Amino acid sequence: MGLRLKIYLVCLFLTLTSFCNATSEDVLIKSAERTIDVTSQLVKITHRLTLSNTGKSSVNSFNFHIESRAQQKLSYFKAQLADGKDSSGVLKAVSSTVKGVLTYKVTLSSSLEPGQTVKVLVGTVFTHNLVPHPAEITQKEKQLVQYRGSAYIFSPYKIASQTTKVLLSSSSVESYTKVKPSSQSDSTITYGPYENIAPLTEVDIVIHFENNAPFLSVANLLRHIEVSHWGNIAVEETLDVYHGGAKLKGSFSRFEYQREHSGVSSIKSFKTVLPELAADVYYRDEIGNISTSNLRQEDDGDVSLELRPRFPLFGGWKTHYVVGYNLPSFSNLFNSGDEFVLQMDLISHIFDHMVIDDALVRIILPEGASNIEIETPYAVTRLPDTLHFTYLDVKGRPVVEIAAKNLVENHIQPFKLRYTFSRIVMLQEPLLCVFAFFLLFLTFIIYARLDFSITKDEACDNRQRAAGIAENIRNHYLKRSTLFQAFETHVVKLKSSRDINAFQASAKNITSDLRAQTLDLPANLKSEHPQLNDRVTEIQKQDKAYRDFQSTHAQLVERLVGGKINKPQFVDAEAILIKKRDELVEKLNHLINTL
Amino acid sequence: MAATSVTAKPASKSKTKSKATLLNALGYKSLLTFTILALACIAGFASRLFAVIRFESIIHEFDPWFNYRATAYMVQHNFYNFLNWFDDRAWYPLGRIVGGTVYPGLMITSGSIHYILHALNIPVHIRDICVFLAPVFSGLTALATYFLTKELWSSGAGLLAACFIAIVPGYISRSVAGSYDNEGIAIFALMFTYYLWVKSVKTGSVFWATLTALSYFYMVSAWGGYVFIINLIPLHVFVLLLMGRFSNRIYTAYTTFFILGLVLSMQIPFVGFQPVRTSEHMASLGVFALLNAVAILRYLQSKLSSSEIKYVFTIGVLIAGAAVFCVVVLLTYAGVIAPWSGRFYSLWDTGYAKIHIPIIASVSEHQPTTWFSFFFDLHILVITFPVGLWYTIKNINDERVFIVLYAVSAVYFAGVMVRLMLTLTPVVCVLSAVAFSRLLEFYLKEEESASKGGDSSDNDENDEKGLYDKAGKLKKMKHEQQKDSGADQGLGINVRSFVVVAVMMMLMMFAVHCTWVTSNAYSSPSIVLASYGQDGSRQIIDDFREAYYWLWQNTHDDSRIMSWWDYGYQIAGMGNRTTLVDNNTWNNSHIALVGKAMSSNESEAYKIMTNLDVDYVLVIFGGVIGYSGDDINKFLWMVRIAEGEHPKDIQESNYFSERGEFRVDSEASQTMLNCLMYKLSYYRFGDMKLDFRNPAGFDRTRNAVIGQRSIDLTYLEEAYTSEHWLVRIYRVKKPHEFNRPKIDKAERRFINKSFVSKKTAKKKKGSIKNRPVVIRGQRPSDQ
Repeated sequence: MGLRLKIYLVCLFLTLTSFCNATSEDVLIKSAERTIDVTSQLVKITHRLTLSNTGKSSVNSFNFHIESRAQQKLSYFKAQLADGKDSSGVLKAVSSTVKGVLTYKVTLSSSLEPGQTVKVLVGTVFTHNLVPHPAEITQKEKQLVQYRGSAYIFSPYKIASQTTKVLLSSSSVESYTKVKPSSQSDSTITYGPYENIAPLTEVDIVIHFENNAPFLSVANLLRHIEVSHWGNIAVEETLDVYHGGAKLKGSFSRFEYQREHSGVSSIKSFKTVLPELAADVYYRDEIGNISTSNLRQEDDGDVSLELRPRFPLFGGWKTHYVVGYNLPSFSNLFNSGDEFVLQMDLISHIFDHMVIDDALVRIILPEGASNIEIETPYAVTRLPDTLHFTYLDVKGRPVVEIAAKNLVENHIQPFKLRYTFSRIVMLQEPLLCVFAFFLLFLTFIIYARLDFSITKDEACDNRQRAAGIAENIRNHYLKRSTLFQAFETHVVKLKSSRDINAFQASAKNITSDLRAQTLDLPANLKSEHPQLNDRVTEIQKQDKAYRDFQSTHAQLVERLVGGKINKPQFVDAEAILIKKRDELVEKLNHLINTL
Repeated sequence: MAATSVTAKPASKSKTKSKATLLNALGYKSLLTFTILALACIAGFASRLFAVIRFESIIHEFDPWFNYRATAYMVQHNFYNFLNWFDDRAWYPLGRIVGGTVYPGLMITSGSIHYILHALNIPVHIRDICVFLAPVFSGLTALATYFLTKELWSSGAGLLAACFIAIVPGYISRSVAGSYDNEGIAIFALMFTYYLWVKSVKTGSVFWATLTALSYFYMVSAWGGYVFIINLIPLHVFVLLLMGRFSNRIYTAYTTFFILGLVLSMQIPFVGFQPVRTSEHMASLGVFALLNAVAILRYLQSKLSSSEIKYVFTIGVLIAGAAVFCVVVLLTYAGVIAPWSGRFYSLWDTGYAKIHIPIIASVSEHQPTTWFSFFFDLHILVITFPVGLWYTIKNINDERVFIVLYAVSAVYFAGVMVRLMLTLTPVVCVLSAVAFSRLLEFYLKEEESASKGGDSSDNDENDEKGLYDKAGKLKKMKHEQQKDSGADQGLGINVRSFVVVAVMMMLMMFAVHCTWVTSNAYSSPSIVLASYGQDGSRQIIDDFREAYYWLWQNTHDDSRIMSWWDYGYQIAGMGNRTTLVDNNTWNNSHIALVGKAMSSNESEAYKIMTNLDVDYVLVIFGGVIGYSGDDINKFLWMVRIAEGEHPKDIQESNYFSERGEFRVDSEASQTMLNCLMYKLSYYRFGDMKLDFRNPAGFDRTRNAVIGQRSIDLTYLEEAYTSEHWLVRIYRVKKPHEFNRPKIDKAERRFINKSFVSKKTAKKKKGSIKNRPVVIRGQRPSDQ
């Protein structure tokens, strides 16, 4: 970049030296109208020039000089054909400093033949060109500024006729230098018309007037643009803003500020226009959210954010804040295959008539982007690329850094950033997560399943084994209990239905089921878990007794149904049986629970 | 969130439990335990987020701002630089050695989290880590409480205790998101140390005792409350000895813990040699000696006959006890051991601080606790807590002695100081959980044998109860139902279900109360205030940050700000400026000097302020919005503290009206009306008409029209006042601004009389000009 620029400049210098002298005599400015707009903190000058070729040969370009006093403050230069449309008529302009004078060489779209004329519009914007005078004011006073310039256009060509209009922010003018003919009407001061002014003539003028427009400037702008291929572009701007107008002298009185509405030149709030699709907007600083902001959707689709700093800004006061938002990537990121183009404004709107002293734009591309090329709308400094590490990055994300100075609203123009990115790389991050969790779970599984103790705990193992056997036995008896219960249900049914055959069939079924159930106990139970063995034997005994009871009970009922015994006898016999059974149940329950 | 998870718990438990009998019971049980604990952690975490959701992720109040600033410093520089950090932005002109005067555990914890996350390229801001640290640790506290209660009673009680501690307001008050303070992590360390101690007493293993010492080390690094542990554990051992429960397990546990804990605790720079040099730590040393003496006697016992041993034992114990006591007393007198500190005295004598150290008394959290706040912070638990205590005493064993001692001492301390409510809360949760667990166990278990309902208690023995019930039930229903119900211990199903429902209702009310208290009382960041209009719209009053940020942006980098010590940490944290005094109230006379400046008249104050190089004075004034915590309401403490150091210049009685009242209206005394604080608070306020009903200069906080309507300032000028006048900043004028013109350096002329030396080569020696000539007198003639 740097080398290319140098070569470019050298070529330019050569061409300039060859043309400069030849053309200056041949061009005459027939008429010139200049408008100096000082209603805001900026000085915006528009020249409407009518050029005519009085020489013999055709002219391809003309020069435009910037007054030396304002050279450093020039922020923006634009030349276009007066009758052309906004974009089609823009003329190419190249700047150089010749003999200490900043000169723009504007190339005309078609060469100007002898005797022909062309109308050209030249616009310039200067920053920090209005000097507060007095430099310090109290809270009650109004802000007065001075504009210093020339009554004539500073031009390398002779100007046949010229007028200058100065647009002021208010009609209260302290003083202005009178260069006849000049006049003031309301908030406009008119100089001229002046006839046949020789080239490079200057007459200093000073205009001292009231200007309470917000003199808000951004000292440092740090703009982060983070591109994610998951569909989001995150923009974050960190700003240092200050009030560049007349400094506050003496104390700040809240009472006067609230009740008497003094401090007209102070800044209470300002409006930032965000892109149409901006979402999730935040406004904060080092100590948290700034609670005084409003977000509004304008009629033209833009999102406007009304920002109020934590405190009103008086002359000389500054503040610092961060504004951030998300944009969907479809509006700014375009691709064909693996080739991507990011098209976004290099800087964005911060407030009306803004001034940015220093800007640093960092564009963070996704990890794995390569072949990065950037195309900027105006000359900027590209700093060496760096890397940025954030969520789940391994190699780091490439960062393109661009620095620029002295920017105004006219610089809100899009850049184009081309890069190659393979979409398959997008899978890297999810896979990384999956793998990490997989490893985590695997470690836990291995840890839980394997025994890492260096000593063997025999007692514990034994206990566990016994618990396992006990669980087995319990399950066995659980199943048996359901069968027993089914049997009893049948017995009860028999009492009412008196159908012996059906009962016997189902009783047979259940008995065979009970027999089919076997309890496998380990062979070494007796030797290894003698206690458990005793219990099991006891349970088996009780279980057998229970089974006996059931058969007795069934017989009793059968006899009742068969009419072999009468009802009172049966009731007595059954009562004894039931009592016995309850004891058995209790014993069994107890045994199994304490297994 | 908190409410549902807690109350839903018993229901979900019982449902799953009935299945557990059919399948692998162990697996279900651990899944259930895991789920309940996870829910408790989540509920605890979520209910602490009110402030973040209502406002933002922001550090709260006063002390957390310092902790945050220190953490940010540690993250930015490194740990060793942090330990060596000399903070020249505090206590101007003295400065503060931060590394040696903080408990670094908190900063190290969040710093390590930050380090790990950044090593993994997760760019979480240190502020967010600090904000969410306390809620995360509350989850860990719930786990530690679960383990402790499980060791002491049962895992069922443990689960209840974990749920209680997760949402109990007494603990939430110190651990909401943004409340980045030592207590947030210290309660976890406390409970975990206790768990490990109980575990080591139970097992008598060196392993657990070592872990106890390590956990104790973490506690020492985190909070000054570690003194509670190092006194409670020796007390436990001592009481066990008295109860004749000496065993080798206790001997191993205590000696290991004590030695390791002592060595480790001395590694913290702030603690240093305190463990061997201050009275607070002497109990642990004494018990250590006593335990060894007992162990020796026990050993002798095995060698000697029983009649001899009784004699030797009594004598031995007496001699050992007396010797330890005498040594401690002697060393204290010799100055080797420092006597009790003032704060410690105020624990025994609640009136002590008020008389001797007004600065301790002036802090609201050092006030005695009211009965109301017990209920407010603990709700139903305050009633069930004694029940649990009774159960533990009834079924006493070695480790339950510990929880009883903890309970009794914590109740006392919580009664003395509001702040120590925090140490009471965990034990209340544990013991209430024991009580509830017993209650539910009893009522739900009986219910099950009568109906088919599930079982809510977690004890193993009743898991498989009633396997054979189904078999017997059918018959029972038919024949012997009446007989059975008569024999059923006098508790019918109705009574049981009524009790269970009532208990559930109480628990539900508890959850509701906890959520309400958390939301209303403990979730205000206190640096952002919110007021609600009549239509329910919320208006945020962000004056503190407005003014602090103004200081940061629009004053010179090394400006010195004078304010009352409450705002020191905030000015340093949010305003990034040098302060004279701050919340680390280590130098009483410096604070008294600031108090004197605030309570003197303007010219006297100016002398102090120029001596201290003050550039700005910051006062908090709530008269416009009716904010009661402002400087005028704190003013009497400033006067008292100033009077303590400068009794000749400042007298408290001068600031009262003739009738002995503290007023700001026309009846106020002349001293009051002319003092700096009054002037700075009410400057230009006399012209301010807030509404149509009241005259100009009406103070909404004190409901009075101010006594001095037109205030002129000679030595100061208003530099900034926030939107609602809450923070007022004044610039101290330089001498040339009010009494003599400033002359630029270039224009200064020095009158330089050309000096000619009278010394010549001849008169090199010094000689006296106009040397007196001695005239020899004549002796009067004798007559």
